[in-house]
Amino acid sequence: MAEAIVVENLVKIYPGVKAVDGISFTIPEREIFGLLGPNGAGKTTTIRILLTLIRPTSGSVSVFGINALTHPDKVREMAGYVPQDVSVDGEITGYENILIYAKLYGMPRDQRKQRIKEVLEYLDLQDRANTMVNTFSGGMMRRLELAQSLVNRPRIMFLDEPSIGLDPNARNAIWELVRKLRGEFGTTILLTTHDMVEADTLCDRIGIMDRGKLVVVGEPFQLKSGVGGDILSIVSQAPNLPAVVEELGYSTIAESSNGTVELLVANGEAVIPRLLEDLRAKGVEIASVSLKKPTLDDVFLKYTGARIGEGGSWTQARMTRRTFRRLAK
Amino acid sequence: MNLKRYLSSVLVITELELRKIRHDQSQIWLRIVQPVLWLTVFGVTFSKIRAIPTGDYSYLQFMTPGILAQSVIFVAIFYGIIVVWERDLGLLNKLLSTPAPRSAIVIGKALSAGVRGLFQAVAIVILALIMKIELILTPLSVLGTFAIIILCGMCFSSMSIALASVLRNRERMMGIGQAIMMPLFFASNAIYPLSIMPGWLKVIAIGNPLSYVVDAIRALLVTGDLSSIPVDILVIGATTIMLVVLASLGFRKILS
Repeated sequence: MAEAIVVENLVKIYPGVKAVDGISFTIPEREIFGLLGPNGAGKTTTIRILLTLIRPTSGSVSVFGINALTHPDKVREMAGYVPQDVSVDGEITGYENILIYAKLYGMPRDQRKQRIKEVLEYLDLQDRANTMVNTFSGGMMRRLELAQSLVNRPRIMFLDEPSIGLDPNARNAIWELVRKLRGEFGTTILLTTHDMVEADTLCDRIGIMDRGKLVVVGEPFQLKSGVGGDILSIVSQAPNLPAVVEELGYSTIAESSNGTVELLVANGEAVIPRLLEDLRAKGVEIASVSLKKPTLDDVFLKYTGARIGEGGSWTQARMTRRTFRRLAK
Repeated sequence: MNLKRYLSSVLVITELELRKIRHDQSQIWLRIVQPVLWLTVFGVTFSKIRAIPTGDYSYLQFMTPGILAQSVIFVAIFYGIIVVWERDLGLLNKLLSTPAPRSAIVIGKALSAGVRGLFQAVAIVILALIMKIELILTPLSVLGTFAIIILCGMCFSSMSIALASVLRNRERMMGIGQAIMMPLFFASNAIYPLSIMPGWLKVIAIGNPLSYVVDAIRALLVTGDLSSIPVDILVIGATTIMLVVLASLGFRKILS
């Protein structure tokens, strides 16, 4: 299968910040690839470089075999982009928003009307085509943004945080659409997200980014099994719990201040009874034990030593919501 | 990228602006308030007291081209704010991800400002007619005035876009807009002739591109003496080209 994107040793340095720090990856055609990481990890910068919006400090980018640094216009011809911030114009209608983009992509006049009609129907916006966009809901604006990019039938779509700020229904609708796009048109999709669930359920492969580096790339399933098993959380008042657990030969992965110890074990369900017996024999009182299958957050923890901060993502979601509102009168 | 596609990109950006105006004309009427006050209050008062020598023409005739130009630069000088706003919203990112060349987007935006100025101009000419201010309205003078107004809008909006890529936020753009606006207007021949200015101000006014805009419109609509028009067009044209180039160069940096 052809390679849609080949990135080698990509570096982008802003004064005082290494936003992207020597990353390399390859995305085959028809793949849904997700860049997962916290805010400021360099995901958006990477996407903007691939889209030829900004120039990298060094490294190479090729999109369907075309050098993005020497032929940015050719890359733009085949790419569609939905930025994280709201990018529809509220002061004109939905139809006009798409029309302007169809024209900017140089679509011949005789095809325009038909294509716009198609994308409007595809995204279920035909009823609102002639309404001003500042009356749209956040989910509708996002769909309109997708329609704008799809009108040119891009070979590759870049989606920057596609579901941020959307309610669960709208989020599911966007996921459905992304899958449908790949299924029906064979579109290659590169998305960024800080949402574990989105990365896990939507992407064929994900690359985890942290502080400008791509720490690991793989299928979600593969990455999760790479954590090394199931996670057992033990809560106890006993101060010697960590020491005892180590003594019994278990590997602890995290320890929090309120008396919780997390262990990494193979086949967790079978381990629990034995562990409880062993701990009781050592005289340790257990308050509770819970079993957790590894998530991408645990994968992230394994490779970066930290969890993806929830605080940042909320701020970001609020900001996007604010933009939706600001655009709507 | 061939020329046809380039020009069509420019026109699409301008079309976007026209569509916005079509959906909401109220801004044109709101923006007409200030020129109305200039003509009906300032203009009428000053023509009564005859403080400013304007030769064979009434003071109102003399100042109408100045007010026309003023209303156009008012639109244009704050155009950079719209660009910064669109960048903050995310609109600009998306626009730049299309195959449209950067400079075509800048020229399209500048032309949009010119077109907006045109609507202001038409409104003011209608006002002038209602006030029975005598103007030369032949097809040539009207079309010529429209062309000058579009150039004027392009000139000052590209100045504003060039500033936007340096100043990069809305508050600073508001500040600089206001800081430029008044000197630009008062250090020109918009509301009084060059001949009554002190020497130093005259020097500034001669270097001020707005003076050439006003001079050209005055020649077309009031005096009918077109001898200075070639020089006016040359100065406005050259300044516009220079500023469009500057704005296009700066535009690359506005995202990063």
